[in-house]
Amino acid sequence: MTQILIALFIISMTILIYLGMNYLYNYFPSPFLVPMMTTGIVLILLLISFHVSYDTYLIGGKWINSLLGPAVVALAYPLYNQRQILRKNIKPIMAGVGIGAFTGMASGALLSFLFGLNKVMILSMMPKSITAPVAMEVSSELGGIPAITVVFVLIAGLIGAIFGPILLKLFHIKSSIGKGIALGSASHALGTSKASEYGELSFSMSSVSMALTAIIGAIVGSLIPLFF
Amino acid sequence: MNILRILAQIAILFAFSFIGGLLHTYLHIPLPGSIIGLILLFLALCANVFSVKWINQGAGFLLAFLPFLFIPTLIGVINYPELLSNKGFLLLIVVVISTIITIGAAGRASQYSENKSKRRQEEK
Repeated sequence: MTQILIALFIISMTILIYLGMNYLYNYFPSPFLVPMMTTGIVLILLLISFHVSYDTYLIGGKWINSLLGPAVVALAYPLYNQRQILRKNIKPIMAGVGIGAFTGMASGALLSFLFGLNKVMILSMMPKSITAPVAMEVSSELGGIPAITVVFVLIAGLIGAIFGPILLKLFHIKSSIGKGIALGSASHALGTSKASEYGELSFSMSSVSMALTAIIGAIVGSLIPLFF
Repeated sequence: MNILRILAQIAILFAFSFIGGLLHTYLHIPLPGSIIGLILLFLALCANVFSVKWINQGAGFLLAFLPFLFIPTLIGVINYPELLSNKGFLLLIVVVISTIITIGAAGRASQYSENKSKRRQEEK
């Protein structure tokens, strides 16, 4: 009984803080106030100041976690809605997403290796360009730490959202299709919201790229253990 | 009732994820169960054996609150205070450089392929 009360309390606190942070973000839509990050920071500070362990938080948190599976399945919905655009532009999409997914994983792993980081960190780094619910799954299958992967995913998203426009100029990516695919396959949902500023086509391309990067990333992730 | 419909549709998405999990375990498909569920749902929608009306509201709801769903996992970093050290700084640099390279590679590759197929169409 107390377990259920603790769970309900934790879930309601998480929802309330998230709604509050969402409200704040609507007033000040800066990438530094992305609700997921601010909610995480507030909750971590609360847990530390009241000496609550992560295991205790998970009594409620695991109920929220249980919605992650259906949320990944739900990505089929935008993919289906965009199926005509997907079919029409299949070549640039597959070229961009394929190379993007490979570059994202390989460069993350290679740089971590060159910087002398340990194996667990390298494995946690690899799925960072994939949308968080899938990245967590891939990370744990590879033998990484999902919590750390989520932090990397968040940072990768913020870079796309903050520096995306400068980077696109720097790399001379001018087409709407290219902009959308670049942001969607490197910076998932946060990149996609930036891509929406370049118009409907960029937005569609970006959301399709995000869903496809998740699928390709999961496939590549499942193949990696076969080689090492 | 709208809420009931959303809940029922989330239950359907749950079922896809669950079936994906079973396929993962018993057929030894190496993909995560939820990804298998995603692919199954996409194929079912494309083959018209499944109507998009059966999942659109539930899917829309979950995707709207997607960032909320990974907060419990994100908070798990509380057990890794070493991320605030020099090592954490190195990791940050890796994420930054790798993301910049990825944006460049994905964008250039798609733009190249797009221009190539455009040129081919013009030649015809």
